[in-house]
Amino acid sequence: MSSIPDAIVNQDAKFLTDNAKRRKRLSLWFYFLCVAIALISVVILIVLMVSIWSQGQSRLSTDLLTRAHSELEIERSGMWPAILGSLFVCGTCAVVALPLGVGTAVFLEEFQPTNKLLRWIHGFVQLNISNLAGVPSIVYGLLGLTVFVYMFNVFGQIRVNESAGMEIMGYKHFYQVLTLEPGHVVFVPQSDPTKRQTTFDEPFQAVDPDGNPIKISIWTPGTPKPSDPAIRRQTVRAGAIGGTITERNWYYFRLPFDKSFLSGGLTLALVILPIIIISSQESLRGVPSSLREASMGLGATTWQTVRDVCLPAALPGIMTGSILAMGRAIGEAAPILVVMGAAVAKSSGPKHLMDDAVTMPVLIFNWAGRQQDEFKELSAAAIIVLLVILLLLNSTAIYIRHHVQKAQS
Amino acid sequence: MSSVTPAIESEENSDALPDQTLIHIEKLNAWYGDFQAIHDLSLEIPKHKVTAFIGPSGCGKSTLLKWINRMNDVVPGARAKGRLAISGDASNDHAEINVLDPGLDVVGLRRKVGIVFQKPNPFPKSIYDNVAFGPRLHMKTSKSELDELVEWSLQKAAVWDEVKDRLHGPALGLSGGQQQRLCIARAIAVGPEVLLMDEPCSALDPSSTLAIEDLIFELRTQYTIVIVTHNMQQASRCSDKTAFFFEGKLIEAGPTEQLFTRPQQKQTDDYVRGKFG
Repeated sequence: MSSIPDAIVNQDAKFLTDNAKRRKRLSLWFYFLCVAIALISVVILIVLMVSIWSQGQSRLSTDLLTRAHSELEIERSGMWPAILGSLFVCGTCAVVALPLGVGTAVFLEEFQPTNKLLRWIHGFVQLNISNLAGVPSIVYGLLGLTVFVYMFNVFGQIRVNESAGMEIMGYKHFYQVLTLEPGHVVFVPQSDPTKRQTTFDEPFQAVDPDGNPIKISIWTPGTPKPSDPAIRRQTVRAGAIGGTITERNWYYFRLPFDKSFLSGGLTLALVILPIIIISSQESLRGVPSSLREASMGLGATTWQTVRDVCLPAALPGIMTGSILAMGRAIGEAAPILVVMGAAVAKSSGPKHLMDDAVTMPVLIFNWAGRQQDEFKELSAAAIIVLLVILLLLNSTAIYIRHHVQKAQS
Repeated sequence: MSSVTPAIESEENSDALPDQTLIHIEKLNAWYGDFQAIHDLSLEIPKHKVTAFIGPSGCGKSTLLKWINRMNDVVPGARAKGRLAISGDASNDHAEINVLDPGLDVVGLRRKVGIVFQKPNPFPKSIYDNVAFGPRLHMKTSKSELDELVEWSLQKAAVWDEVKDRLHGPALGLSGGQQQRLCIARAIAVGPEVLLMDEPCSALDPSSTLAIEDLIFELRTQYTIVIVTHNMQQASRCSDKTAFFFEGKLIEAGPTEQLFTRPQQKQTDDYVRGKFG
């Protein structure tokens, strides 16, 4: 093996230079190809932006930002309830998904399984998360519909004038009855919430719309009506039917959640949970194990190590993943349509925990499908607003992340 | 010094006393999964001396070191059998600490037995917060007590003069040698009795190495130091006792001077002369 092989000794000088030239040329071509591919995506983005801007720019006005959807005054329709709705839905989603996601990532990365059962749980959870990340979001919508909207019907179904499910707190039920004075109603506190209607034949205690207690008397048809409006206001026709009206505080809570923003937020939390878990796991894995050893070597417990060393070091990465996940949540329409419905007529943001809401993607979806040109332009304008809000949220989060990173090093 | 200062300061003239054994190792066997890293190893580590572990890579010296404060707990499949005990002191009624006892309070053990790693690993926090990390875990101190403790530890680790003006600056901004001394200060700050050092100079340049070696020599009067090293000059320069390991077995242990000049075993002789390893 001492003599140098022929292939090394007898080399063709011309072939060597030609070959080198050819390879360099190929490399240059490949460079141009990469630049072209990169430019294509940029061009597509620019075309998209320009076309949306040209369609929607004329509809950008304060009306768009402050008013609600209107069928009658189409040109003055706005998206304020949808902006609020999206913030509520995404807020719920963040509050639920962030702690759950980061917690799961910490469990999977930082706590070594010490026995067979724990190892099995680790493996099982990890396998599920990897698979869940690839599930289409509409499937989560159906899951949310069963789990949050109906809760498998174990608490009863919510039906107008029939049932409100299982109400837990923050509500007061009244029977609403018309008096003999036209346009005036009185309210009777309701003792049996399952009974949605009642008939009045005898005098009863009620409250007027201002909340003052009043005594109501009964007028039997066939006898003369009292002429004094003040008395008419306190008199009800015999056999009058009172329908239920509910006063709800902001903390109104009932099961099932029905088509509320809470259902929507929880469903979106399911959609983004795998993304948050996987990105948090990645960034926890990026924390050098030497830091963990240092902390353990000083007598810190696993929890102290996680809290004081691992989480602070992984925070920038966890935040990046969470920002991306929230961006996805705010733009998600499919599961929201399934869970919260496609109605856009809501005139305000959510008033209580169980209130329904419109979200921006659903409103855009609705407007874009309308016949009227005004709605088509409005939907383009709403897209611009959605993109701006998304950009604002992202840049705030990136700013915070940058701040955290700088404080650490 | 205030009450947070470790109690070991009282035993100043330990050099005059005959060797007391602090760590007793008898018939220790250790495994990583099916691989046996340590075979039937018995060794005594004297109190307030520097004991060096030498030997070629993979000879089990780091494994042994990490069993002394149970750092191997986090390694999946690591287990050990045999006796590994630390003599008690007045604080626990002279009861021996049985290190391998599965029910042992590991947090308490690691407070007593600190460790310094091969690569400097300061936390990405300020210099002050690095040193205060341990005390904040274990002790209840006022702000001024903590300040005092941080200064004391940094002075002990001979890095105070270099960092006193930027205590709240980032620890990662220090040089490698300074970072390693900061790590030693961090380990000292919880008041350990034993300092384990796993090749503390192998990632450092010669002048930083010299500074750490001087420091080890200084710390010897108050701490029991166990140092793993690949550098035989280092072992001969700064240790009192040396143990030579080969393939998971203890070949020879004795006073450093004797081991380097009149080794009893041929393998030791070959190794210290640089014939293999």
